[in-house]
Amino acid sequence: MLPGSRWPGPGTSELRVLIIEDDRDVSAYVRQGLTQAGWNVDVADDGRQGLLLATTEKYDALVVDRMLPHVEGLTLIRTLRASDNTTPALILSALGEVDDRVKGLQAGGDDYLVKPFAFSELLARLEALVRRAKTAGNLNETTLSLADLEVDLLKREVRRGSQLIDLQPREFQLLEFLLRHQGQVVTRTMLLEGVWNYHFDPQTNVIDVHISRLRGKIDKGFDKPLLHTVRGAGYRLSA
Amino acid sequence: MPLPAILRTSVFRLTILYVVLFGISAAGLGGFIYLTTVGYLQRQTDEVIETEISVLREEFERAQDPLRPTVALNRLREMINNRGSQVQQLGDEWFYYMLVDRNTRKVAGNLEIWPEAEVNDGWIEFDVEAADGQMVPVRASILPLIIQLSALNGPRPTTLSVEETGDRLLVGREIRELSAINQRFIRALTLGLGLTLLVAFAGGLALAISAQRHVVEMSRTTRKIIAGDLSQRLPVIGHDEHAELAKSVNSMLDQIEHLMGGLRHVGDSIAHDLRGPLTRLRTRLEALAAEPAPTRQSVDECLTQADGVLATFNALLRIARVESGAYRKAFANVDLGPIAADVAELYEATAEENLVEIRKRITDNSVVFGDRELLAQALTNLIDNALKYTPVGGHIDLEVKRSDDRIIVVVADSGPGIPAEARERVLQRFARLDESRSKPGNGLGLALVRAVCDQHDGKLVLSDNAPGLRVTMTLPAAR
Repeated sequence: MLPGSRWPGPGTSELRVLIIEDDRDVSAYVRQGLTQAGWNVDVADDGRQGLLLATTEKYDALVVDRMLPHVEGLTLIRTLRASDNTTPALILSALGEVDDRVKGLQAGGDDYLVKPFAFSELLARLEALVRRAKTAGNLNETTLSLADLEVDLLKREVRRGSQLIDLQPREFQLLEFLLRHQGQVVTRTMLLEGVWNYHFDPQTNVIDVHISRLRGKIDKGFDKPLLHTVRGAGYRLSA
Repeated sequence: MPLPAILRTSVFRLTILYVVLFGISAAGLGGFIYLTTVGYLQRQTDEVIETEISVLREEFERAQDPLRPTVALNRLREMINNRGSQVQQLGDEWFYYMLVDRNTRKVAGNLEIWPEAEVNDGWIEFDVEAADGQMVPVRASILPLIIQLSALNGPRPTTLSVEETGDRLLVGREIRELSAINQRFIRALTLGLGLTLLVAFAGGLALAISAQRHVVEMSRTTRKIIAGDLSQRLPVIGHDEHAELAKSVNSMLDQIEHLMGGLRHVGDSIAHDLRGPLTRLRTRLEALAAEPAPTRQSVDECLTQADGVLATFNALLRIARVESGAYRKAFANVDLGPIAADVAELYEATAEENLVEIRKRITDNSVVFGDRELLAQALTNLIDNALKYTPVGGHIDLEVKRSDDRIIVVVADSGPGIPAEARERVLQRFARLDESRSKPGNGLGLALVRAVCDQHDGKLVLSDNAPGLRVTMTLPAAR
């Protein structure tokens, strides 16, 4: 059983993704997982075919390997961006150092995942990408909310129902990140990158404790829990 | 040696260039010398002949009587016979005269036959049998004779007409000496040019070969390096640009060898130290495969173990990457104060769960020249480590302070500490103390801290915190 089947797909409307990856084992593995998670998956084995598909078909997201035959991954993305194709692209690579990551993002990639990866990590990031692309422009909003949880970004106030909740600055950032990704699975690595801006994993799992503290503040004493743990993957903030 | 191969080499092309350049300049020089010496002598001879002719012409013109045209001719004939029969010695060289009529018949002179050589600009050169029987070269000028005639129909001449008689006077001079000099000169010039070309060829060849030798030597060494012998270095000969190139290439090779060494070391470590965990994982999977219905839990355990191997692998690569200096080019001034505070904050919640207190004494404005991410990771590893070994109710001290031109970072715990004799060993990769095997982690934490510290030109000291371990990192403060 793949981890991807443990939570429902991203919604009623089927999402289309193109996987451009020359390693058939990887692409088959990703295709199976994404299909189970409710995605409509196309696979291209090399850069040229991938570029052709990406420019002629409409996709919600691209998964692009870096070292591809014929057209290199970054070149492919750069070419797409040059022709105003803004389909969100997740770069998959065995090159995981910070400068490789920066190069990938500079070329027009939207996220970067280092091989080997857990499928749950890929799925969570892919869903975050698609969501971000759909809600682009909402980044300037001043309040975020979920059910009866409300966050005022200007006053930096958090309320659940009528109750004012006092959060530490980092807890506030953590909640903001989760709210911006509400309904999606957020992995520990995504949190480390998004909230702490660290691109390395501490040996001890320190994120769990931060989450459980936040949960203690926003969920404790309320009927309906909002912050859920997704086993083997991460967390999800949802009603 | 096969010739066609040589034709394609730069040696051959350089040599030919030398020969052509030397040949042109030698020929130019020779030509100039020839014109200024032999040419000068020739002009002198010509002047002598011209003077003789003008003497004769003046006499001829003076003797002209328009009414009796033959008088002047007779006078000329007389003079020529006189001068021709005299031994006109002038440097042992004879004058030759010959007066002919319009049918080229001899009228007077000491030449018997009108020369048949080509007339060039009034000058003619030919050979004559001299009195001593030798054939000698003669250079001569030819003067056509013009006679003034008066109208013969009156008692007194009233008009003059000028008539070309067809008579011609040849005045020549033996040029035995000049011709000998000329010949010798040309022989000398030819010889000199040949010699010059020979020297140019030899010199060019020698120079080109010596230049070529460097290149050949370099490419031979390069081939050895390609074949896998990275210890080879190009020979540095002399102080020219070849030597400079060889030096640059050599330092490039040093760097490559250094990096290759690092890589090999990582490879060795991976081979040596990942084999254990991988073997354990394999054994486990084998046992799992034998079970009729593997449990979810046993699969998860295998996954965790595989993740552990990957984490170790990544940590190793990261250490190698740090040690290679790859991050240095992105170094900037960063304040260690906030970095340390952030890391402490990341761990505080976990520490509180374990009933361990993180006591911070952090001074801001502790600016070093470095990489935020690397320093954060080093601190993370130190605090992670301290937390692992600090017993419940213990404490961890995190201190960042400035001391003169140094920034001092201290992470001290109240755990069991490390015996003095083992402190150096824990900084090595994969070195964990046996009694701590039960703790999670891959034993690479301190090795990375050390690598980061080295890259920031810092010093890492482990000491006794009585009780516990005290890690002191001393970094140079940014200027």
